[in-house]
Amino acid sequence: MSIFTPTNQIRLTNVAVVRMKKGGKRFEIACYKNKVMSWRSGAEKDLDEVLQTNSVFVNVSKGQVAKKDDLTKAFGTDDLTEICKQILAKGELQVSDKERQSQLETMFRDIATIVAEKCVNPDTKRPYTVSLIERAMKDIHYSVKANKSTKQQALEVIRQLKETMEIQRAHMRLRLVLPAKEGKRLKEKLKPLLQVVESEDFDEELEMVCLVDPGCFREIDELIRCETKGRGSLEVLSLKDVEEGDEKL
Amino acid sequence: MGHTSLEKIIALQKNPANIRNLCILAHVDHGKTTLADCLVASNGIISSRLAGKLRYLDSREDEQVRGITMKSSAISLHYRNGDQEYLLNLIDSPGHVDFSSEVSTAVRLCDGAIVVVDAVEGVCPQTQAVLRQAWLENIRPVLVINKIDRLIMELKLTSQEAYTHLQKILEQVNAITGTLFTSKVLEERAEKEKEEEKESETLSGDQVFDWSAGLEEVDDSHLYFSPEQGNVVFASAIDGWGFSIQQFAHIYSQRMGIKAEVLLKTLWGDFYLNAKAKKIMKGAQAKGKKPLFVQFVLDNIWSLYDAVVTRRDKEKVEKVVASLGIKVMARDLRHSDPKVLLSAICSQWLPVSQAVLSMVCEKLPSPLDMASERAEKLMSVGARRFDSLPAQTQKLKTAFLQCSSEDNAPVIVFVSKMFAVDTKALPKYKPRPLTQEEIVQRRELARQRHADRMAADQTAAESHKELAHSESMSQESQPTNCEIYCFYFTSQVHSFSHLCQVPEGCSASDCVFEVPHLSCCSMESIYLLMGRELEDLEEVPAGNVLGIGGLEECVLKSATLSTTPACPPFTPLNFEATPIVRVAVEPKHPSEMPKLVRGMRLLNQADPCAEVLIQETGEHVLVTAGEVHLQRCLDDLRDRFAKIEISASKPIIPFRETVVRPPKVDMVNEELGKQQKVAIIHQVSHQVISQVMDGLVTLTTPNRLATVCVRAIPLPQEVTQLLESNSEVIRTLEQINMSLREGKSLDISLRTLEAIAGLKDQLDSLLQGRKWRNAVERIWAFGPRRYGPNILLNNVDSYQRPSVWQCLGRGDKTVEAGAQAAVLRDFDNSIISGFLLATLSGPMCEEPLMGVCFCVERWDVQSSAPAQHQESFEEDSMSHKALADNKVERSSETSAQEEGMASGLGQAERRPEPASDCYGPVSGQLIAAMKEACRHAFQAQPQRLMAAMYTCEIMATAEVLGRVYGVLGKREGRVLHEEMKEGTDMFIIKAVLPVAESFGFADEIRKRTSGLASPQLVFSHWEVISSDPYWVPTTEEEYLHFGEKADSANQALKYMNAVRRRKGLYVEEKIVEHAEKQRTLSKNK
Repeated sequence: MSIFTPTNQIRLTNVAVVRMKKGGKRFEIACYKNKVMSWRSGAEKDLDEVLQTNSVFVNVSKGQVAKKDDLTKAFGTDDLTEICKQILAKGELQVSDKERQSQLETMFRDIATIVAEKCVNPDTKRPYTVSLIERAMKDIHYSVKANKSTKQQALEVIRQLKETMEIQRAHMRLRLVLPAKEGKRLKEKLKPLLQVVESEDFDEELEMVCLVDPGCFREIDELIRCETKGRGSLEVLSLKDVEEGDEKL
Repeated sequence: MGHTSLEKIIALQKNPANIRNLCILAHVDHGKTTLADCLVASNGIISSRLAGKLRYLDSREDEQVRGITMKSSAISLHYRNGDQEYLLNLIDSPGHVDFSSEVSTAVRLCDGAIVVVDAVEGVCPQTQAVLRQAWLENIRPVLVINKIDRLIMELKLTSQEAYTHLQKILEQVNAITGTLFTSKVLEERAEKEKEEEKESETLSGDQVFDWSAGLEEVDDSHLYFSPEQGNVVFASAIDGWGFSIQQFAHIYSQRMGIKAEVLLKTLWGDFYLNAKAKKIMKGAQAKGKKPLFVQFVLDNIWSLYDAVVTRRDKEKVEKVVASLGIKVMARDLRHSDPKVLLSAICSQWLPVSQAVLSMVCEKLPSPLDMASERAEKLMSVGARRFDSLPAQTQKLKTAFLQCSSEDNAPVIVFVSKMFAVDTKALPKYKPRPLTQEEIVQRRELARQRHADRMAADQTAAESHKELAHSESMSQESQPTNCEIYCFYFTSQVHSFSHLCQVPEGCSASDCVFEVPHLSCCSMESIYLLMGRELEDLEEVPAGNVLGIGGLEECVLKSATLSTTPACPPFTPLNFEATPIVRVAVEPKHPSEMPKLVRGMRLLNQADPCAEVLIQETGEHVLVTAGEVHLQRCLDDLRDRFAKIEISASKPIIPFRETVVRPPKVDMVNEELGKQQKVAIIHQVSHQVISQVMDGLVTLTTPNRLATVCVRAIPLPQEVTQLLESNSEVIRTLEQINMSLREGKSLDISLRTLEAIAGLKDQLDSLLQGRKWRNAVERIWAFGPRRYGPNILLNNVDSYQRPSVWQCLGRGDKTVEAGAQAAVLRDFDNSIISGFLLATLSGPMCEEPLMGVCFCVERWDVQSSAPAQHQESFEEDSMSHKALADNKVERSSETSAQEEGMASGLGQAERRPEPASDCYGPVSGQLIAAMKEACRHAFQAQPQRLMAAMYTCEIMATAEVLGRVYGVLGKREGRVLHEEMKEGTDMFIIKAVLPVAESFGFADEIRKRTSGLASPQLVFSHWEVISSDPYWVPTTEEEYLHFGEKADSANQALKYMNAVRRRKGLYVEEKIVEHAEKQRTLSKNK
C-alpha cells in the first residue's frame, strides 16, 4: 500500500489529457499543454510536438496503459499512432490557459471588427476604428462568451455601447416598390420602420428610397411580401450608408 | 537701458524708415534664442545677467524642457543709434528641421534676416536651408558668427588658427550663397535658351551658340558676406560680447592715426602691419606675419580670456578693466565663477546687442526700401508674370513700396501664422487688483449667494477660455497706401476695421471682378507682440508686425487681407519640409470624439505645416513634418486644443487582394510540371461546392434551387489602372444604368457620354486576345461599390441582359431590354450584390479585391421544387435553353396577365415560400451563394497581396548617398533613378517604398544622414507583392533551398498575418512554438 505524502506524490506537469469514450471504455492520451488546439486547427503538423508519448492510457495520472485487446475492440486497429490521432481529433479536452486566452482575444478582436464594420458615428457618418471600439468595449467591461457566436455578441455590444458613446448601426439604403392600391396603407405601416425617406415617387406605383436600420430589414421584407402578395418589391441599394473618401479638415 | 514704454513704440511705429523687420535664422543649437535674449536684455525687458540663460522667447514649457525653440515668436525692440531711433520687430525662429515651416512664416514677414552660424560647427544642413529660404523670399541676410568663446575655451585654438577657421566658415557660407546664385542664373538661362530654341527653330539659319554660362554677366559681389562690408558680426552671445570690424576700425584709427576707411578695408584679409614703416602691407600669409585681424582684434580677446578665465590673474584683470575704461562691480570681481566676471567685462566692452543692432540698422532694408523685385514676386502667383496682372493690382506695387501711413491708402495685411493664446495672456483678461470697495462688497454677500455667484463665475470663465482657445493671431501688416483714381485709402489698421480676405488660389483678375469669392472679416483687436505678452493697440501704421485677434473664423493657416479687392493673394509660403510623418489619433475615451475633432480643426488652423484628415476607415490622421513636430502637435492637442487624453498610433495600412496568372516556374526557377489540378469536392454546411479543373467553381444554394459557376481571372495591369483612374466615370455610368432600369430616362450631357465611350474604347483596346473576346460588351458590373477595379463578366450564353453600356447604345435595344427588365431585376441584383460583397472583402485578409475578373459561366435557377439530391443536381437543373425559353415566355406573360409574376423567376422571390423557408428568401441565398462562389473561385487561383506604394523623392548630398540607399534597402524600397541637380552637389533620388514600411522612415533617414537628406512621400500606386503568402516548399529543390519552414522572408505572409491579427481573424500559428520549452511546474508548487 502506497502512502500519499507530499514527497512521493508525482505531479503531472505540462500534461494535457485528452479523453475519449469508445466501445464503453474510456481512453486517454498524454499531450503537451497548449498544443492540442494548434493540432486541431492544423497549425501544428508535427505529432511528436503534441504527444508526450504515443501510448494510449486508461488513466494517465495513474499511468495505466490501455490493453491491446480493448484498443482493437474499440478502434479496430492496434496502431497506436493512428489511435492517438483519432483521440486527438475527437476526444474531449480541457482547454489550457494560453489556448483559452488567445481564443478569447481573437474573439474580442473579431467582435470589435464586426462592430466597427457595422456601425458609424451618427454625426459624421464615418465608421469608428477597431481600436477605438476595443477600448470602448474595455471601458464598459464587456466580457466575451466563448460559446456564443461573435456576430451575436457584436449586436449585444452595439446595444451596450450606445449608452456610453455616439454610435449607431450604419443604415441600409433600400428601394421599395409598392403597388398603388396598397401603397398608402402600407406606407403607414412602414413608417415606424424607416429612418429616413430620401425620395418618394407616386405615379402608377409607389416608389420609395429610404434608409433603414439593418435590424428592421427582415420585418420590412416580411411586411411587403405578405401585404402585397408578392407584387411589391424590395431592393437593397447599398448595405452600408457611409461617407466615402478622405476628408481634409 | 530702461524699459521702453508702449507709447514710445507706438510713436516709433509711425516712421517706417526706421523700422526694421528681421528674423533670426540658424541651424538648431547655434544660439538664435541666446542672441535674441541679449537683444531683449538691451531693452531692459530681462536682466542682462540672465540673458542667454532665460531664453525669454521660448515661452512654451516643452521648449524650455527640451532646450530647443519650437515656434517662432515676435518681439518689438527699441534701439538708439546715434541720433536715430529705430524700432526692431524681431522674430526668433526655430532651427530644428521639423519646424522649418515656422521659418517660412517668419521669413515672409521680414525684410532682413540675421543668419547665425556656430563658430565650431560651421555650416550645417539647416544653415543651408535657411539661406535658401531667405534667398527664395528675396530678403537680405547678415551673418553672425556665434560661439567664438568655444574656439578659445573648448578647442584651445590660438588666435592665428581661429582666424583661419573663421575664414573657412565664411567661405563655406559664401559658397552656399554662390550656389544659390549660380543655380538661379542657370535656371534663368535655361528658360531663356528654351525661348531661343523656339526662335532658332523658326529661323534655323546660322546659329551661334553662346557657351558662356552667363555667370560673368551678372554681378554677385553684393550678395556675399564679408566683414569689410560690415555685414558680419563675430560674437559670443552667451558671454555677451560681439563686434564688427567697424568698431575696431574706429578704435584703432583713433589710437594709431590710421584712417578708419583704410583700416576698415584691411582689418579683415591678408594684411599685416609693418611696424617700422607704420604701414599696412599686403601678403601676411606669405611672409609669415600676423594678419591685422589677429593682431588687433583676436589677440585682445584671447588675452582677456586668458587673464580672466584661464589664469584668473586679478592684477591683469584690473589693468585690462582700467585700460578699457569700464567699471566692473566689486561683486562681479569677487565672484567665484570667472564667467560672471568675463561677461561683466565683455558686455560693457563689446556689447553684442550694440554690434548686432547697429549692423541690422545699417545693413538691412526698412520696409520702405523693399526691393521691387520682391513685391512683384509676392503678388504674382504661380507662373503668372507680374506684367499680366490687372492695372489696379500693378498700382498696388507702388503703394507697397511707399509704405506710408496716409489715411486713404488701401490696407494689405498678410497673415502668415495663426496661434492660440491663453486667455490669461490677453491684455483684456489680465487680472487687475480688486478695489477696497469690491472686497467689502464681496464680504457682504451671503455665503449661499456667494457660492452661487462663484459657480456662475466659473462657467463664465470657462466660456472665456473657449474663446481664447480659438483666439488667433496674425502677424505682419504690410499695409500700404496708394492713390488710385484720386481716392485716398487708409493704410492704418484700426481695431474693428473690416477687411476682405483674398482667397488663395484664385488669381488677381478673378478677385477684381468676382466679389463672391471674397470673404469679409473684422479685426476685433490689434496687439503688439512682445514675446510671450501682448499689448493692446489702437492702430498700427504700415510696415509693422502685429497681432490680430478674432480671425479664427475666416483664416486657415495663412491669408492675405486687404481693403481693396484688387489686391492679389500673395504667393503661398514655400515650405522646406512637407508633412510626412503620419499617425492615427484617437481619444482615450471614445465619447470624447467630438472634442478631438474640434481640437484637430484648431490645430490644423494654427500650425502651418500640420495636416489633419479623416480617412475612409474613420481614422483621424495627423500628418506632421517630423517626430519632434509630431510631439509638439500632440502636446498642443492634449493641453490646448482638445484638452483630452489622446493616444497616437501607427495608422492602418491598406492592402488589396488579387490573383495572378499561374506561375510557370517554381521558387527555385525550376520548370513546373504539367500538374493538373485535381477536382476537389467538399461540402461546407449546406452548400455544395465543386471545383473542377481550371479554377471553375460551381456552387448551389442551400435549397438547391439555384446554381452558379464562377471563374476568377486576373485582369491585365493596364485595365486595372484604367478602371482605377476612371472610377468617377464608372460611377456616373452606374447611376445612369440604375435610372434606365427603372424605365426613367435621364438627360445625359454629351461630355459624360463621350467620357463613357472613351472608357469603353480604351477597355476594348486593352482587353485583346481570345480569352477576352467580346468581353467589354459582356461586362455585368464593376465592384466593389459598383465602381471599383474589378469586373463581373456575363459568360452565360443564353442569358441576355442589358449591357452596362446601354446608355451609349441604340434606342431600340434599350426598349427591348426594358421589357425584360422587370423580370430580370431581382435575380440580376442578387448576383451583383454577391459579387460586390465578395470584392469588398477578399478571403486572404478581408481587404478589398483589385484587378480580378469574375466570369459567371453558368447560372441556373429553378422554380420551386422539392429539395434534390446532390448527385442529381446536374440533370435536375434546367438546361439553359429551357430557362431562356421560360424567360421569353414569361416576359410575354407579364404583359398578358397580371398574375404572371407569380410564376417562374419573378415568383421565386415574391411569393411566400412555405416549402424552403428555412433558408430564407431565394434572393438572399443567391447573394450568399454568389459571394461564396466568388471567394472560392478567387482561392482557386494563385492569390497575391497588393501593397500601397509611396513614391519617395529624396534630396541628398553626395556624401550621405550610401546611407540613404542603406535605409531604403532595409525598408524594401526600390530606387528608380537618381540624378544630380544642376549647379549644386545635391542628388535627387526617386524611389518607391511600401506604405507598410514607411512608419518612421523619414525620421530614420534624417537620423542616419544627420539631416542632410530629406524625403518626400506621395502615394503613387498599388503593387503586387511577388511572393505567395501561402507558399510552402513542395519540390525537393525548394526544400533544400528554403528549408522546412521557409518563413524567413515571406513578406506577403507577414503583412497578411498582421492584418488578420489586427482584425481578429484566425491566424495559422502555434500558441507555443516548442512543447518542451514551456514552464513545466504547476502553479501551486
